[in-house]
Amino acid sequence: MSIKSFRNFSIIAHIDHGKSTLADRILEFTKTIEKRAMQDQILDTMDIERERGITIKAQAIRINYKAKDGNEYILNLIDTPGHVDFSYEVSRSLAACEGAILIVDASQGIEAQTLANFHLAQKNKLKIIPVINKVDLPNSEPERIAEEVASVLKFDEDEIIFASAKEGIGIEDILEAIVKRVPPPQGSEEEPLQALIFDSFYDAYRGVIVYVRIINGKLSAGSNILFMGTATSFGVEEVGTLKIARIPKSELAAGEVGYITANIRDIRLARVGDTITELSRPCAKPLPGYSPAKPMVYCGFYPVNGEDYGNLKDAIDKLKLNDASLFFEPETSAALGFGFRCGFLGLLHLEIVQERLEREFNLDLIATAPSVIYKVILTNGQETFIDNPTKLPSPSLIGHLEEPYLKLTIFSPSEYVGRIMKLCEEKRGTYINTEYLDPERAMLTYEIPLAEVILEFHDTLKSATKGYASMDYEIIGYRESDLVKLDILLNEEAVDALSTIIHKEKSYYQGKKLVEKLRKVIPRHQFKIPVQASIGSRVIAREDIPAMRKDVLAKCYGGDITRKRKLLEKQKEGKKRMKRVGRVDIPQEAFLAVLGIND
Amino acid sequence: MTNQNPKSKIQNPNKVESLYIHIPFCKQKCNYCDFVSYAGKEALIDEYVTALINEIQSSPLSPPPEAEDSFPSPLEMERGGPSRARDGVRSVTTIYFGGGTPTLLEPKHFEKILGSSAQGSGSRREISIESNPGTADLSKLKALRSLGINRLSIGCQSFNDKHLKTLGRIHTAKQAIQFVKDARAAGFDNINLDLMFALPNQTLEEWKEDLATALSLGPEHISVYNLQIEEGTPFWELFKSEIRNSKSETNSKLKLPNEDMDADMYEYAIDTLKTAGYHHYEISNFAKPGFECQHNIAYWKNQNYLGIGAGAHSHVNGKRWANPNCIEEYIKNRSSDPIPVSEIVVRSLDENRHPNNDTGRACPERERGRPDRRETIFMGLRLLDGIPIETFKGFEKELNESITDGLLVIHNNNVKLTRRGLMLANVVFERFI
Repeated sequence: MSIKSFRNFSIIAHIDHGKSTLADRILEFTKTIEKRAMQDQILDTMDIERERGITIKAQAIRINYKAKDGNEYILNLIDTPGHVDFSYEVSRSLAACEGAILIVDASQGIEAQTLANFHLAQKNKLKIIPVINKVDLPNSEPERIAEEVASVLKFDEDEIIFASAKEGIGIEDILEAIVKRVPPPQGSEEEPLQALIFDSFYDAYRGVIVYVRIINGKLSAGSNILFMGTATSFGVEEVGTLKIARIPKSELAAGEVGYITANIRDIRLARVGDTITELSRPCAKPLPGYSPAKPMVYCGFYPVNGEDYGNLKDAIDKLKLNDASLFFEPETSAALGFGFRCGFLGLLHLEIVQERLEREFNLDLIATAPSVIYKVILTNGQETFIDNPTKLPSPSLIGHLEEPYLKLTIFSPSEYVGRIMKLCEEKRGTYINTEYLDPERAMLTYEIPLAEVILEFHDTLKSATKGYASMDYEIIGYRESDLVKLDILLNEEAVDALSTIIHKEKSYYQGKKLVEKLRKVIPRHQFKIPVQASIGSRVIAREDIPAMRKDVLAKCYGGDITRKRKLLEKQKEGKKRMKRVGRVDIPQEAFLAVLGIND
Repeated sequence: MTNQNPKSKIQNPNKVESLYIHIPFCKQKCNYCDFVSYAGKEALIDEYVTALINEIQSSPLSPPPEAEDSFPSPLEMERGGPSRARDGVRSVTTIYFGGGTPTLLEPKHFEKILGSSAQGSGSRREISIESNPGTADLSKLKALRSLGINRLSIGCQSFNDKHLKTLGRIHTAKQAIQFVKDARAAGFDNINLDLMFALPNQTLEEWKEDLATALSLGPEHISVYNLQIEEGTPFWELFKSEIRNSKSETNSKLKLPNEDMDADMYEYAIDTLKTAGYHHYEISNFAKPGFECQHNIAYWKNQNYLGIGAGAHSHVNGKRWANPNCIEEYIKNRSSDPIPVSEIVVRSLDENRHPNNDTGRACPERERGRPDRRETIFMGLRLLDGIPIETFKGFEKELNESITDGLLVIHNNNVKLTRRGLMLANVVFERFI
C-alpha cells in the first residue's frame, strides 16, 4: 500500500478527558478488536495504569479503515503517556505522528495539560483535530467549550468535532477527519534509513522490542543498524507491525510504524527519541529532539529487613529492564543500612515504582524523603551536584547553593485564584502573571522551586480548589537559594535518612513540626528518647518521647494461652517491621513524616 | 508483710487436677466482651448441661499411674475414654465454672454436674464460680454454697453507674454491693471481686473510689484488669481508630485513658491493695494470704487442665486443644453417649499456630508430651514470685538481657519480674516466645 494511504496520529488530552475510551471506541468501530474481546482501555496494559486511569507506557496499534471516499487507509494510533512527568516521552511519540486528536472535556474545558499537550503538538508541527468529548453528559456545555477552544487555541469552530467516546457518538467523524485532514507521511524509501524510537519495552524471550516510526528509507530483518544516540549497533532479527499482537513483516518502509527486535538486552540502549539508521549507509544526521534520560527526583529505597536487600536489587533490576528512565545505584545509610538511591522523572514516576516494588515483588520498603538535585558552588569555585542531603559538603566548603526552578502554570476557576496565590507564596513561588481565558477561568504562572512542588503540592492544590485546578510545569534551570540542611537526631544520634534540605526561612517551623510528628509516630521505648532537629550543630527544636510506662496484658481467659501468645507474637512481629537505629525502633511512617509536615 | 509463695496444691503434674467448665450464657453481651458467650440462648441451658455431663463422663480425668506417659490423645478421649474415669469430677483438685454468666444456671444444674461427691464445705477442693450481680438472689446463692461451691467470683467491674452503663453491664453499683453482701450471708468465705480500670473517660479519682468501695466490702480476693479493646466487640468499632492510629481523633465523646493514666491507675491499685493487706501474687490478682486462686495458678504454672463446654480450652501433657465455640454445635456433638467420632470437632491449637511464630526454637518439650517451655516461662513470670531458674535453660541470652534491662531479677533461685518488669511485662514475655 502506498505511503499516501498512511495516517499516523496520537490522541492527546488532559487527564480524564477520555483519551483511552476514545482509543477503545476507534478500535471497536474499525473492527481492529472484536467488541467482546475488548477490555476497557485496551491501550493501558499495566494494572496500575488502569487503577489510576493514566497511561504510563505508550503503545501503538495499526488500524485498517475504509473511508467514505471508498479508499482503504492504514491508520497508526500512537498512544502517549498522560502525565507531566513523562513529557519527553510524549513529545517523542508526537514526533512520530503527522496529526493529533486533541480531546477537551465538554464540561471541564481547557485544562493545564490540554494546553501543554497542544503546545507540544504544535511544536512538532502536527495537524491538530479538536474534539469536544463527553457531550452526552447532562452538565456538559459543548457550545461554550467549543467557543473557548476556538478562541484560546485558535481553531475555526467548524473544525471542532462533537463526540461522546463512551456512547460511540462522533467516532466516524473523527476517523474521516483523520483521513482528510492529517497529511500522509512525507519520507522517501530511497533515502538512507532514519527511524525514530518512540517506545520500547523488554521481553524476556526477544530482548528489547523497539517501537519505531520510519521517517526515511527501509528497515528489514537481517540488516545491521546503528542507534545514533547511544552509538551501538545491532543485527535486526525481526520487523513487523503492531496489531494487538506483533505481526512480522519482511520490511518497514518510510511512513510506517512498527517494531523491531535485535536481541537487545539493555533497554537503555534503545532510548526513546534516538534515531536508528543503517550501519552500511547511515543518514547524514539524527532526527532532532533526542535527550538522554534525566531524573528529576531522587529518593532512597531501603528494605525494612536487611536480608531483603538482594530481593530489592533483583526487583529494581527487573523494573529497570522495562523502564529506561529509572535510575539507581547502591547507597548506604548509617541509619538504614544498604539500599538504593533511585532517580525518577517525577513524583508520580517515583510512586509508581514504589508501588510496583511493594505490590509485584512483595517487599517492605522504606522510602526516604524525595529530593531534587541541588547544585553546590564550592568556595573554590567548583560546581557539584548532589541528589541526597547527606552528601552535602560541610558548610565551610559551600559558597552557595542552587536549586532547580519550574515555570508552573495553573488553570483554575477564577474564584480560587486567591487561594492558589496563597499556596504558591507559601511554596516560595514568584508570581509572573495571570491570564483569563474567560471571566470564569484563570491561568496563573509562577516560577517556583521544584523541591516545593514534589512534596504534596498537587494534592494541596486540588483540595484548595475542590479538585478544579490543573497544573503543568517545565524546568527552567537553577537558581540560588538560601538553603540549609535540617538533621534529625533520635536519642542523640543523627538519623541520616531523615535529613532534608530546606529553605532557611522555613527551617525553624519545619524542624518544630517534624519533631512533633516524629514524637507521635515513634512508639514509646523502655527509655526516654529525645527527638531533636538541628541545623549544623545548633538544635532548633526538641521533643521527648517519654519512657514506656506500662505494657502488660491483663486478662487471661479460661486457660486460653494460645491467644495470649498470639498477641505477644504479633507485638514482637510489629517491632521486627520497624527499623532499628541505635537503640530506637523507627516505624516506616516516621520516614514518611518528612513528607507531610505541612498538615 | 510476708509475701508467702502461693503453693500449688496440685500434687501430680502428669495428672489432670484442674477442670474448667464453661457456661456460655449471658443476659446481655457487654460492649468489651469477646469471650465465648451468647445472649438470648437460655432456652438451651438444659440441653447444654446434659452435653457437659456427657463430655465429663467421657473424659479420662484420672489415669492410673502407669499410664501417665501415655495420656490419651483428644481423639481417644472423644471415643469415650476409659470407663473407670466416669466420675472424673471427683478426682480433680480444682473446678472452675467460668462464663458467660454461670449463675444464670439453676442450682439443680450444678448438682447434676458436680454430683453428690462435691457435698460438704470441709472439702480441700477449690470449686469456683463466676457470677454477675443481679443473676442470683440470696436463696440461690445459699443453694450454690450448699452444693460445695466454695469460691465466688463476682464481676463487679466498677461501682460507678456511668461506667457500668458504658461497659454495657446489666447491673448498677447498688445491686453489685447488695450481691456481695448476699454472698456473704449465703456463707461464701472466699469471694473475689473483678474490677476493671482504664475505662473510657475514667478519671483516677473514680478509680480510687472503685477500689475503696471494693475494699469496704472486704473480699478475700481482688482481680484488677485494665480494659482491653478486642477485635469484634462494639468497643473495637468505637475505638479502633484510636488504637490503630494515634494521629487521628475519634468523633466519639468517649476517650480511652492514655498510657500514663493507665499506668497511674495500675500503680495506685498495686500500692493500695498491698497496703490493705492483699498479696499481689499475679499481675492482675491480689489475695489475702491463703486465698490465692488455685485453679488459675494451674494455668500460670502451665499445668494440666481439662476444659469442658463450648469454647473451652484444654492443656494436657503438652497438648492444647479447644472445643467448638458454637453452643448448638457443641450440644449436637455431645448429646448422645457414646459420641460418634465423625461428628466431633476438635481444633488442635498447634495447627492454628501463626506460621511466622517459630523463633527458630523447636519445641522438644511438646514433642515429648511436656508443656512448651516458652509458655511455661511467659505464663509463670506472671506470678510475682516467679519461676525456678532451671526453667530458663536455653534462654540465657534473653534472661541476661532482661536482667540487664532491670526487668527481671533472680531471688532465691527464682526468676521474677522487677517492679519495672511488672509494668512492662509484655516486653519481657516477647523475648521468650
